[in-house]
Amino acid sequence: MSRSKEKLGNFTNLDAPEYEDVLQCMRCGFCLPTCPTFVLTGRERSSPRGRVALARAVAEQKLEFTDAVKQEAFFCLDCRACTTACPSGVKAGEVMEVCRSQSHQQAPLGHVGKSFREFILQRMLPNPGLMEKSMLPARLYQRLGIQWLVRHSKALKLGPAWMGKAEGMMPKLDAPLRPQLPVVTPAQGEQRGRVGFFLGCVMTLMYPEVSRQTVRVLAHQGFDVVTPKETKCCGAPHLSEGDRQTARELALFNLNLFMQADVDYIVTDCAGCGAALKEYEEQLEELAGHDKLASFRAKIRDISEFLGEVGLRTDRLKPVNKSVTYHEPCHLCHAQSISRQPRELLKQIPGVELREMNEASWCCGSAATWGLKFSKESEQVLDRKLNNVKETGADILVTANPGCQLQLAWGVRERDLLVEVQHIMELIGEATP
Amino acid sequence: MISKTAIGYLVEKLGAENVASEKEDLLVLGYDSTPGVHHLPEVAVYPTTREGVLAAMDIARREGLPIVPRGSGTGLSGGSVPVKGGMVMCLNRMNRILEIDEENLTATCEAGVITLDLFNATAAKGLFYPPDPGSQKISTLGGNVMEDAGGLRGLKYGVTRDYVMALQCVLPDGSLLNTGGKSVKDVAGYAFKDLLVGSEGTLGIITEITVKLIPPPQAKRTILAYFDDIRAAGAAVSQIIAAKIIPSTMEIMDKATINCVEDYVKIGLPRAMAALLLIEVDGHPAMVEEDAQKVDVILRQVKAAQIHIAKDAEEAGKLTAARRTALSALARVSPTTLLEDATVPRSMLAETFAEIERLTAKYKLTVGTFGHAGDGNLHPTVLCDERNAEEMHRAHAFYDDLYDKVLAWGGTVSGEHGIGLAKKEYLARQIGAGGVKVMKRIKNAFDPKGILNPGKIFSDDDPGTRARV
Repeated sequence: MSRSKEKLGNFTNLDAPEYEDVLQCMRCGFCLPTCPTFVLTGRERSSPRGRVALARAVAEQKLEFTDAVKQEAFFCLDCRACTTACPSGVKAGEVMEVCRSQSHQQAPLGHVGKSFREFILQRMLPNPGLMEKSMLPARLYQRLGIQWLVRHSKALKLGPAWMGKAEGMMPKLDAPLRPQLPVVTPAQGEQRGRVGFFLGCVMTLMYPEVSRQTVRVLAHQGFDVVTPKETKCCGAPHLSEGDRQTARELALFNLNLFMQADVDYIVTDCAGCGAALKEYEEQLEELAGHDKLASFRAKIRDISEFLGEVGLRTDRLKPVNKSVTYHEPCHLCHAQSISRQPRELLKQIPGVELREMNEASWCCGSAATWGLKFSKESEQVLDRKLNNVKETGADILVTANPGCQLQLAWGVRERDLLVEVQHIMELIGEATP
Repeated sequence: MISKTAIGYLVEKLGAENVASEKEDLLVLGYDSTPGVHHLPEVAVYPTTREGVLAAMDIARREGLPIVPRGSGTGLSGGSVPVKGGMVMCLNRMNRILEIDEENLTATCEAGVITLDLFNATAAKGLFYPPDPGSQKISTLGGNVMEDAGGLRGLKYGVTRDYVMALQCVLPDGSLLNTGGKSVKDVAGYAFKDLLVGSEGTLGIITEITVKLIPPPQAKRTILAYFDDIRAAGAAVSQIIAAKIIPSTMEIMDKATINCVEDYVKIGLPRAMAALLLIEVDGHPAMVEEDAQKVDVILRQVKAAQIHIAKDAEEAGKLTAARRTALSALARVSPTTLLEDATVPRSMLAETFAEIERLTAKYKLTVGTFGHAGDGNLHPTVLCDERNAEEMHRAHAFYDDLYDKVLAWGGTVSGEHGIGLAKKEYLARQIGAGGVKVMKRIKNAFDPKGILNPGKIFSDDDPGTRARV
């Protein structure tokens, strides 16, 4: 399973950018003010236009695939704000994602780094059972009160900075959801269809209560919910880390799994998973039949997109008397162009007052592992976001992606802000009897 | 090649974070939005103060490096492209708005302030800075002044030049030149300010700019008219002007442009129409009402296929935002978008459209035309592929023919993008050898050693500074 073709300039022939894709950029610079890393640094090479120009220089053999190109590929947040801003249709984020794969081919990590990366991406993530077991110590650690001790003694500050942050970001962990969910959760009231639920790894491990609400709401809205136990990671972490081979294997597995299930839609409550699932068609174009891919793609919905499309039955909803502001996950608004639907759902919850924040679609600085790799820059991006949140004075900060939720909740805790961070499905769940 | 010692000095004077000498940094500072031009500078600096500008200039002079000022690199004639290498001076970190003077109705800011940021800051105080080039959300004031940028509101409100009151700049020999001020009248000696505006970085480096502000219009009406024939749209523009109505905006897009823009914005623009006009009238509510009615009558007379009035500010905003994406959106269909900036007296608009149609057929090209119809300023854009030499040859022949006509009609080769690299040959055709000679003498008076932005505006015979793809 590989996508190799004619070699382009100084790229290797496996998973390289397409020349047409980099040539498409006419360098108007409309992307610059929307790029968080350009706004932070004012440095052209850390902008979408600059990054595409670097890729073009590599393609035209004006530049080797150097360390600096690799750095820029990973310094890109992959937030896709530039895709939304680009009138010419250039996808700088995707070009950089492919360049991450080039990085591993052209500048492999040292032995330890490589084994660690392979262990996580190729052994842990594709294996839900293994991941659940590995989370056990983390849960025990919280139960025994060590987390409280560590957080308060600042003991972790001694270690590398990212570990402290990763520890601090960990929400209160409950048992993973995957083994608990029945394969079929029956619809309540008038039946409106049958949906497959794609339960993401971070959701089941870190936010089991959120996805429990998603399934409950879907059933309450009149849908039979099928949650295949065998579901594997969507492959988004692999694309983000440049392991496109494992990503394709996972995608193929999930494609077959869900196409065997007899469902009208495939719904997810994780924006990152949704964006990845919607890209299967492109990713697997040489590995699966065109019709099968198109039919799979036609079924994928983010939960907000889905509820917006089928219409929320509001007659039995309980009021939630709260003011709410909405942070748009990049992988929802930029990667999937879904902005309107979550807001409309929020407005339909009785009692909810929606207050728009400035720059709602500006990244929160989480961006998969970016927030851990570039912790200083991530803080700056987060500050900008939380200042906008603060100005609204809302009771609840709603988002729709676990990565954002981890980052925002951590930021709110660190700054002692009086705002609760919730996934949109928690709020709809609260309104659902 | 710049010496290690010189880079060391620069780092010492400006700070390591404000000096770039890695190839990956330099590669991406060698272009702007002009197709086909890409050159590699030797070093790039990001001064944050005027002292920084002076220090960097001093080192460049000692090293014999040409200096090319750069804002955000959104220019459309190659003005900030370092054709002879040397030092690129990025002014985008000098981005403070220093003062908004509500008594004198002026704003003073550093050269790297983003145009839209200045607009927003003045709007927050109930004032209005009208120049709004297509790239306003990222273009810098310094770049706007150096290219004398226009925009969508040029018809009624004029261009950048009409708002510049004072400039502070650094000359190539390291001396400072302050010109103009907050006085509304000033005839003391030669108008250096006017010479510097539009000088494309060839005379001095601007560090500070004072602009005039005006009270914003109280009311605005946005009208969209669709046409079956682009010449009818041209006639509408001429007749509106002849009826003594000065809309703030009168923009045109042809069918190819409408379709590309609609592919991006998806707001329901009419894909089948030959052209659309976006017209805005603003001012006192009573006058806006009257003007809008008169415009409506004229549009009906010239047989516009449909007339649509924006229902609110939000819809009007969407329409102008859509228009701003025209050039970039045209890049959806071809790798290279070769655009020109021909401007004709407005009475000649319909003829110009006919000529563009004729030449498009003659040279078998795909052309998207949009622009500031009310200003007679059109941007016929050839959608081509720079890898296809034969097609590029036809594209240039298209412009050669078009400019012959434009000049014969008393037009200009550049309404708002500047000469830069792209139009050097055409400039001489317009102003003649004598005109070029005088311009060179002026250049020589400011920059006798020729270190500021060499290779721009005038054609010398150096093949390295040729723009053609």
